[in-house]
Amino acid sequence: MRFLLFCKLVYKLVLVGDDTKPLMVGRKAVLRNIFVIALMCVSSSVVADSSIKGVNAEAAVDAELGLRLPDGFKATVFADQVGRVRHIVAADNGWLYGALARPKDGMGAIALKDSDGDGVAEETIYFAKGLKGTGIGIYDGHLYFGTDVSILRWKLPESGEPKTGPELIAHGFAEKRQHAAKTFAFDGKGGLYVNVGAPSNACMEKMRTKGSKGMEPCPILEEFGGIWKFDASKTMQHQQKEGVRYATGIRNAVALDWNARADSLYVVPHGRDQLAEFFPEYYSVEDSAELPAEEFHKVAEGADMGWPYSYFDHRKGKRMMMPEYGGDGEKLSDRGQMPLVGFPGHWAPNDLLFLKSDALPEGYHLGAFIGFHGSWNRAPMPQQGYRVVYVPMDAAGNVTGDWITFADGFAGADVIKSPRDAKHRPMGLAEDAAGALYISSLMSGGRIWKITYEGN
Amino acid sequence: MAGAALCAASTLVNAEDNKQAEGKALYDANCGSCHQADGGGVPMLQPELIGRPRANGPIGGVIDMILFGSDAMAPNEGDYSNEMPPFDYLTDKEIALIATYVRTHFENKGGLVTSDDVKPRRTK
Repeated sequence: MRFLLFCKLVYKLVLVGDDTKPLMVGRKAVLRNIFVIALMCVSSSVVADSSIKGVNAEAAVDAELGLRLPDGFKATVFADQVGRVRHIVAADNGWLYGALARPKDGMGAIALKDSDGDGVAEETIYFAKGLKGTGIGIYDGHLYFGTDVSILRWKLPESGEPKTGPELIAHGFAEKRQHAAKTFAFDGKGGLYVNVGAPSNACMEKMRTKGSKGMEPCPILEEFGGIWKFDASKTMQHQQKEGVRYATGIRNAVALDWNARADSLYVVPHGRDQLAEFFPEYYSVEDSAELPAEEFHKVAEGADMGWPYSYFDHRKGKRMMMPEYGGDGEKLSDRGQMPLVGFPGHWAPNDLLFLKSDALPEGYHLGAFIGFHGSWNRAPMPQQGYRVVYVPMDAAGNVTGDWITFADGFAGADVIKSPRDAKHRPMGLAEDAAGALYISSLMSGGRIWKITYEGN
Repeated sequence: MAGAALCAASTLVNAEDNKQAEGKALYDANCGSCHQADGGGVPMLQPELIGRPRANGPIGGVIDMILFGSDAMAPNEGDYSNEMPPFDYLTDKEIALIATYVRTHFENKGGLVTSDDVKPRRTK
């Protein structure tokens, strides 16, 4: 029955069209459309949600390993005590590279290699002297690095650390402390998409001050609170000159990735903090722990995700007016697009990954892995969200089912009252050429796990 | 006479308990979401308050943080991404109660702060 409904939906979308796609006309188009429907319906019957089960809540967490995975998956501690490692990327040269949020021995990046294939890196090289950052990525034979104020790149070496000096690709980002991490994604066609987080909670007139109203229009959006697009290969591009604001209304999308199959950018921004603290008349501490949702979005050029004027309430399934802009927890808002998924509040999505290989079971091929760092702003309720989830999707980039927890147990305890008590907190995600996954955490000295599918 | 002294002492103790409870309530409402109920802060975002120099040193250390937020900090003091707003709209008494709570909890031994300690620092 669900299958039939799905086919009907596909029929409606493809044949009838929607607002964003012009209708194809003529006999050829109809034939093509029927072919597309048939293909999608067939593939949808193959991609069964039952093939992805998520972690077994009954299974014990291996405390030494520091995580729990679904049946059939195996993890090793790929590297330990590496420092404050943030985003990570695996190169075809067999090395894993990571950005460090705080320099280790004066170096802002790390290169790791497992030469004997036992799942544990034997070689460790620190590089990027004098730098620190969060973003790291590979495109067109170069290793890119995002500091808080720039995007740099080195020629990707055949082995180990870069051998040449860095080129400055993008600069001119204002120096801020809050939400300053410049994470990025590539579209594979020469475009570089950089997260420029808003140095603000909800664009209040007075920073994080009770009773302060939101500014209308929010001037922060001119320079921050969105995704800026650059040419991945041009040097010395200034954010306000060569950079183009690609999408707006994004408070801080540390987690972003390009979905090559759907040929689109996706983001999972951090939602605002402190609803009950500033608006106790509208939000209980329980509401404030759950709200606003952490939103998963497909982002087209020109899209607006609504910050700071609105937020998504996943319990109501509706977009709400931000209280700094007249909201009261009940008033709806039409500013900002609807998310694909709304996750519980304050889980802090810090990386998003679409796989390129098919090494994992089929149900994992098309969807999104999201690494949640875990909350600090659910107090006095317990903190939550120290996990990696998987959102099942189809080849067109639509969500096809409920998300599952792919990895948890990082925090090391069932109840975490204070974030510093969490032993590990997921941060970056990567996939290597053979299809193995990597998860980084910057707590307890810094750790990176390698995850492979072994079957049952 | 001895009974009266005892009564006076117990009133003092109760007054001190009330102040501690008021200080904790104010801390929870204004500071707790960022610095956490246990004073543990948030790694890399907001400082922990446990055994910190400002809460064990000169009287103005915590008062200035409450009054001026991040602006009270030296450029290289701490290594945290989030900024703290000024809480100068709180009364001298409220600030004294919070500062006292911070300086006498979380393994801190900085001691009591009074309204008279707060008032002159507002114009600094």
